Amino acid sequence: MADLGLIALLFGLIVAALGVVLNLLGAWQNRPALVLAGRNAVYVVSGFVVLAVLVLLAALVTRDYSVAYVANQVSNTQELFYNISSLWGGQAGSLLFWTFILSVYAVALTLAQWKRQPSLRPYISAVLLAVQLFFLTVLIFAANPFRRLWLLPDGTTAAALFAPAGAMPAALSDGSGLSPILQNYWMVIHPVMLYLGWIGMIVPFAFAVAALVTRQLGNEWIRVIRRWTLIPWMFLTIGILMGSQWAYVELGWGGYWAWDPVENASFLPWLTATAFLHSIMIQERRGMLKVWNMALIFFTFELTMVGTFITRSGVIESVHSFALSNIGPLFLSFIVLSLFGFLWLLGSRLNDLRSPNTLDSMVSRESAFLFNNLLLAIIAGLTLFGTLYPIISDGLSQFLPIEKMSLAAPWFNKVTGPFFLALLVLMGSAPLLSWRRSGVETLRRNFVFPLLLGLAVGALGFVLGEQKLFATISFAVVGFVLGCLLQEFYRGAKARRTTRRESWPIAFFQLFHRNQRRYGGYIVHLGVVLIAVSIIGANVYQTEGQANLAVGESLQVRSYRMTFDGLSQSAGSTYDAVEATLHVERNGRALGVITPAMHFYNTMAGRDQPTNEIAIRMGLQEDLYVVLAGWEGTGQTASFKVYVNPLMSWMWIGGLVMILGTLLAVWPHSRESEVLAVAPRSAQPA
Amino acid sequence: MNKILPVIALARRLGLVIIAVFLLAGSIAWTAGHAQEIPTPTLDQVQAVARELYCPLCNGVRLDNCDLQACEQMRQVISQRLAEGANKAQIKQEFVAQYGPVVLGEPPREGLHWLIWLLPVVAVIGGVTWLLITVRGWTRQTAAGHVAASPTPSAAADDDAYLARVDEDLRQIK
Repeated sequence: MADLGLIALLFGLIVAALGVVLNLLGAWQNRPALVLAGRNAVYVVSGFVVLAVLVLLAALVTRDYSVAYVANQVSNTQELFYNISSLWGGQAGSLLFWTFILSVYAVALTLAQWKRQPSLRPYISAVLLAVQLFFLTVLIFAANPFRRLWLLPDGTTAAALFAPAGAMPAALSDGSGLSPILQNYWMVIHPVMLYLGWIGMIVPFAFAVAALVTRQLGNEWIRVIRRWTLIPWMFLTIGILMGSQWAYVELGWGGYWAWDPVENASFLPWLTATAFLHSIMIQERRGMLKVWNMALIFFTFELTMVGTFITRSGVIESVHSFALSNIGPLFLSFIVLSLFGFLWLLGSRLNDLRSPNTLDSMVSRESAFLFNNLLLAIIAGLTLFGTLYPIISDGLSQFLPIEKMSLAAPWFNKVTGPFFLALLVLMGSAPLLSWRRSGVETLRRNFVFPLLLGLAVGALGFVLGEQKLFATISFAVVGFVLGCLLQEFYRGAKARRTTRRESWPIAFFQLFHRNQRRYGGYIVHLGVVLIAVSIIGANVYQTEGQANLAVGESLQVRSYRMTFDGLSQSAGSTYDAVEATLHVERNGRALGVITPAMHFYNTMAGRDQPTNEIAIRMGLQEDLYVVLAGWEGTGQTASFKVYVNPLMSWMWIGGLVMILGTLLAVWPHSRESEVLAVAPRSAQPA
Repeated sequence: MNKILPVIALARRLGLVIIAVFLLAGSIAWTAGHAQEIPTPTLDQVQAVARELYCPLCNGVRLDNCDLQACEQMRQVISQRLAEGANKAQIKQEFVAQYGPVVLGEPPREGLHWLIWLLPVVAVIGGVTWLLITVRGWTRQTAAGHVAASPTPSAAADDDAYLARVDEDLRQIK
């Protein structure tokens, strides 16, 4: 069976290579038949990739331990659900899964866009096929999921495609199973979302390359890729938040973000994609920033590759990099080659990217977008630097008095924190600035309410919370941004009410309905504000406590009093569970019991890794987060770690709001067709 | 991120750290034997110090949450030093001397390491300067070419002007 998968990959590789050639030849010699064949190559390659995925899935589900990947990911007792998610649980499988999602995007894009913009077609297909070609190369030559397990003459086992000299096929009776910390439903969905986000960035990239090659650098393709960027951007947002949620519920340190290289890898393309989603508005309206936008599209794509490289090659020692392999050199070559290739292409088209338009004033929406891009670029640059610092410092320490070390949360928080705050301020104020130029009167009218609200919220935070400068400033900023958003909603609805004579609810509905893109964006901003609130709350006001408790003893953290009632043991399908029961009171009022546990997996992969099953009592005001840290003897005493995380839930609520806003912004609306029919307007006097 | 133990990759370094911990613990135990006993610090007190330190073996894992044996021993060292009357700053300093600045999670503020702290400042100065120059260039061009100052919406027609802005924005975006 596994051989079928290998054959599918090989055929895919051949057809992908052929497809690139067909597309390029077809474009250069202007032969539509070749271009059509090149397009079909996208379908064929994707078909082979799907076949390979199905073969691997079948092997995982039927526990075919002759396949090395299966033996490493599956065990006899592992549930079907996790056998399936094992497809992306290990290195080779996740790369195959990556290629699969790439193929899904490739087919979707080809189907959706084939009728439009015919001159870009062959180049878009060529880019898609070239990236498929790269991943198929990696899959076949460096991280093959279809390698078999062989029993060597000396009694050890080895994974190889073909039998090593004197080896017999290894017949294992059980596999080692998925790493226990990955056996969590968030960890099952999180990679899928992240991949949908990362890989989707191939679409704007393919368009950009095609537009550059054909010198068709007008606004048409920018219009098309806005939606094709927003959708992956949304998945990336979901993926990052799910990863945070996983870290929060699984890792037991009371936090959700540690600036781990893998987290940074997911965040970097998000930053550049966010910058791009804002700066294309300037290009759409004013025809400016074309080079910058090209660079952002490229770096977003490139950073997804860098992220895969970082997380999959183990180049930076990271807790996430559960896989070390020989894919590093291949990825590095691809990254370097694509970087120089793109820079060369961009450089050769600079004249075509010149913009006739100019900026009228520093106090305008355009310049706010420029600063937004600058801030996002700085944050991305610093994050990349910090992530790569172990490598950088290693290199520098050879000839400079610099210590080789990795940077952790303290550095990242300190250097990026102020930029995030500035970004928030800009997020609130940019919509209040007019395009081209804002007069003093407009500024006064637009900013009075948000500034007052900001001051009020800041003062309230100072009085009610702890008197910390950073927290006070942060709350003031949040209040300001909230004021800006509320004012935009209120004024928009009020304007509709007066001019269109609509009632308040209708006016609000129409506001969102008729301006989906604009107000969808504002809702996304609202989600960001909620997330900012939770970050401030959890960072500044987190309280922790820990204690060794004998049965009957209590621990008090903030207003919570927890009394240890005892330990119990039970058996799950792949693990033994040890569960502690504590009853919780808050200010003397009983809240029920809370049961933190530890799971001891009996699979090979999990033997040395008991997992924390953290008990979390979520609330809009705060979360109570209890970790069973250990126990003595038969469980007469146990030790606990308790965190009270204020406002934590607002992170997930904010995430949902962001998704809703994005959906509103991308949802096709009735006016679309009519609007698309209108010829693009270049800049015009306001 | 303390659950995936990168033990295998780190076995070599782990050994060194364990030796270092033992040496440190040993020397402290020796001095402790000669010093006056102070009541055992509570877990909270120990964690309050550990919270500000990082595991020297893992990437970005806080000492108060690291499950490695070496980190457990480091926490015991904190407990001992607290018992001997050392304060948080002293203990942190001792850990830096022992394991290097990695235990702080950030570069030391000395020597060439300052460059890493100045990076954001440089980025801001560079970025803003570049942006201002670019924008200045653009605005100059406008001033020299055609005066295209858009009329500021008059305050009188507040709502109308606002709606016009919304509609105008929408029309142009599409």
